[in-house]
Amino acid sequence: MKKYKILLAVSLVAIGLMTALVASINEKKDEQEKLNQVPKVDRWETKNEEFRKHYPRQFDSWKETKKSDEIHDMLKEYPELVVLWAGYGFAKDYNAPRGHFYAVEDNRNTLRTGGPVDEKTGPMPTACWTCKSPDVPRIMAEDGDMEYYTGKWSKYGSDIINPIGCVDCHNPETMELQVNRKYLDEGLKAAGEKTLAEATQQDMRSMVCAQCHVEYYFAKTPLADGKSAAVVTLPWAEGTLVEDMEKYYDNMEFKDWTHKVSKTPMLKAQHPGWEMWKTGAHGKNNVSCADCHMPYVQEGGIKYTDHNIGNPLENMDKSCMNCHRVSEKSLLANINEKRERKNELHKKAMKALAAAHLEAGKAWEVGATEEEMAPILKDIRHAQWRWDYAVASHPSFFHAPEETLRILGTALGKAGDARIKLAKVLAKHGAGDYKAPEIKDKKQAQEIIGLPFEKLIEEKMKFRNGLMQEWKKEAEKKGVYNPKSTEGVEDKTSYN
Amino acid sequence: MEKNKKIVVYGSILSFLIASALFVYTVYASNMLSYLSSDPKACINCHTMNSAYATWEKSSHKNVAGCVDCHLPVGDAVAKYKAKAIDGWNHSVAFTLNTYKNNIHISDDGASRVQANCVRCHASENATLKMNADKYHSEEVGSLENGRKCWECHKFVPHGKVRSLTSTPYNLGVKEKE
Repeated sequence: MKKYKILLAVSLVAIGLMTALVASINEKKDEQEKLNQVPKVDRWETKNEEFRKHYPRQFDSWKETKKSDEIHDMLKEYPELVVLWAGYGFAKDYNAPRGHFYAVEDNRNTLRTGGPVDEKTGPMPTACWTCKSPDVPRIMAEDGDMEYYTGKWSKYGSDIINPIGCVDCHNPETMELQVNRKYLDEGLKAAGEKTLAEATQQDMRSMVCAQCHVEYYFAKTPLADGKSAAVVTLPWAEGTLVEDMEKYYDNMEFKDWTHKVSKTPMLKAQHPGWEMWKTGAHGKNNVSCADCHMPYVQEGGIKYTDHNIGNPLENMDKSCMNCHRVSEKSLLANINEKRERKNELHKKAMKALAAAHLEAGKAWEVGATEEEMAPILKDIRHAQWRWDYAVASHPSFFHAPEETLRILGTALGKAGDARIKLAKVLAKHGAGDYKAPEIKDKKQAQEIIGLPFEKLIEEKMKFRNGLMQEWKKEAEKKGVYNPKSTEGVEDKTSYN
Repeated sequence: MEKNKKIVVYGSILSFLIASALFVYTVYASNMLSYLSSDPKACINCHTMNSAYATWEKSSHKNVAGCVDCHLPVGDAVAKYKAKAIDGWNHSVAFTLNTYKNNIHISDDGASRVQANCVRCHASENATLKMNADKYHSEEVGSLENGRKCWECHKFVPHGKVRSLTSTPYNLGVKEKE
């Protein structure tokens, strides 16, 4: 009898274990089969969660970008920025980037987009939506590019509602990589670079990122009906190096704004990530953006691309270590050293530029002439453009360390030139002993440039509690937004 | 009492039969018998090994040495099956429970097996190397036994420059010729 009891117990345990094992084996086999299927989704389905049922791993990893939710107030960290951007939107509000999940929310929340009260008000044009959402190419396809680029940012509040996601990079019918924004191809053609039609799959793994992570400006384009459009344009006709774009902007006498203190016609660098990557070791060896930022992941029998786009250093085993056969620790030490080197010049350039603006402001005050100031303003314009170019493309010290230091070096040189000339002008007008005030914190810097911070917040809050809520309701009615997709998302900003 | 006894007896026999049938199915589903062979395809039952398989398949070693010729002890059947059993157990636990990293590295034991096999096949080159080393250097510095492995210099043999998930096709299954 005892023998039978043992046999029964052993058999039952064996059945349990083997069932689990067989289930695991068969699940992995099934997954492999499913991997080869391409289900068809509507061409302009922009609700990201609609893709979950077909691509659960890609969707879930994309949704992980939600975890990158920290608000890092750059103006607080580097208050000189407020002075450098006096008279321009960035002096109001500027945070380090968060995950793709927050693209639309951060665009609505930033003080830069102001507090519109209807579809015709607000400081920004529609072009400010261009990189924020898969709804943008949908609207471009529906309304035409020029109609999209006309009017105020508030015009599309209820249409552009889903954050950067599937349709931004994929054609949902085939799931192939696709660039949906035409200006990239036009820019590549102007620069004489390989165009999209010539791009390999490996090139496309960077091109889809280059739709947004590049330097661009809004070109004012007159339309037949007397209106004008602000069209996203890449300044690459002279080339894609910092000097090439500087030349391009100088040739057309373009300015993003006039500096409030120094009266300099200024350029604002966006985020020339693709251009910088190209000049570094990874770019030169055609290691694509996706290779590091979207590494392959193995889950059981499935290999898929991680869509939690972020810092590859948080995931070195899957990103760096595929190619680098050294220890993670030694690689990290190397990278940190590069960052330190960049920070040293970055901070010096920022302080020199802030002083130059304030000194130029003083020079105007004591009666400097346009003629005296012209060469100085040119130096300031070029110095700040270069400094901005080197740091606005966030991990430039990583993508292209030598190029970053070279650009920061020339920025420092030009800022120094401006200040030497300024010292002479100030002396000539009897203000030789003027010393620019030291920038202590964000609040003091905002006072120096006369920024009505409290008023901006008040307008913004009115917009967020009013019009913005209507946008969400309308979008839901139009069937392009699922409120569940943003449920539980805490409204985070630097100002409330 | 008599009734309970019967339940236990029949129950135990029935569950034994089910377990046996399930075992046969498990053997089939997991390609278990293939592990007794030396066919390199047995190694890619576990998809983790696909990149190793794909890189080896394109290498010059393909025609002369399969996985086991390098990675298992050759000549000593006891050592071979002991290594096979230990590795097999570790690998299946790691794959089933998903406890391995993206970049897998060979174990110390595995490395010394591979080294022994490099020396075994390339005996004539090694002999010359050793002769020269003995002639021109002191024993500790130049001998083959000073702890260096062949692949510290011959880095890309036979698995290529980049042997990782990135370097192999998106579809992990290595397709057999039809």
